[in-house]
Amino acid sequence: MAGFATLVSPTDLPTLRKAHLRETQDGARALETFLAGVERKAFRIAQIALRHDADALDVVQDAMLQLSARYAARPAEEWRPLFYRILENRIRDVQRRRSVRSRVMALMPWREDEDETADALAEAPDGSPTPAVQVESDEMLAALERALTALPNRQRQAFMLRNFEGLDVAGTAVAMKCSQGSVKTHYFRAVQALRARLGEFRT
Amino acid sequence: MNADGEQQQVDGQIEQRAHALLLASTDNLPWAVRSRLAQARHAAVMAHGQHRQRRLQRLQRWVPAGAVAAAALALFLVLAPHRSAPPVVPVANGALENIDLLASDVPLNGDQAVNYEFYEWAADKASSSP
Repeated sequence: MAGFATLVSPTDLPTLRKAHLRETQDGARALETFLAGVERKAFRIAQIALRHDADALDVVQDAMLQLSARYAARPAEEWRPLFYRILENRIRDVQRRRSVRSRVMALMPWREDEDETADALAEAPDGSPTPAVQVESDEMLAALERALTALPNRQRQAFMLRNFEGLDVAGTAVAMKCSQGSVKTHYFRAVQALRARLGEFRT
Repeated sequence: MNADGEQQQVDGQIEQRAHALLLASTDNLPWAVRSRLAQARHAAVMAHGQHRQRRLQRLQRWVPAGAVAAAALALFLVLAPHRSAPPVVPVANGALENIDLLASDVPLNGDQAVNYEFYEWAADKASSSP
């Protein structure tokens, strides 16, 4: 009883409040630093997967909010794979929603009259380079994006997380919610496919 | 160099090139996209603070209530009769009358004095009889 009173005594509340505030500020700073470090890569991963800037931004924002609401209390070392797992889940949600919508729309006789032209264009796998890059290597980047877009989802995830984001095999396995062996297989196949498409790419 | 070795070298070059290109592309994101990302980041950080604040408020609300409940429980445990205590013997209906009699000033054998002579006579009679 005495222990309980010591632990949660109402007289300790101001101290508790101060400690909580300090912890909150530290946590917020750490979270902000982490998010600032991953946000651009996350956006590019989502953008290449979804080929739509607005959807990619929404997906990244959702992933950030989910991470802060659910996993911010976890150790900061765990954030990166968790964040990318959330991101990949959101990307998959959007892809499924699109798939369902396109199937439903295919059944609509008046679909040609719909003013969904912008979305339909955005969803089309035209592989054109996004306006994100205006540099000399535009062509190469465009070719790479086309090749990445053509990869199966799991292979693209493995490649982007391992190669672009720099997660190790274990972290990628957490993000992809699969075994480390599967990560290695997906990654190997992705590199094989990219080699087949981008033979001249290395020069 | 054998075919496998050459293939590995090609793969390594592709991986390096892809990494460099993708990384460079993050530096060239349009201003609008960067701004939206910064907004999303701030929203997430704010949500984190609010989430923690709500947790503290819940704690502040429940700690006093918990302390009161714990005190009440402790009081109950202290004051409640123990299970190992001997069972209470029910008081007979006449016991209260006996207490009254004992407490009163009237002598118990006042007008109902015991007739000792009768008992002595009866004892003698019993011993003398064959």
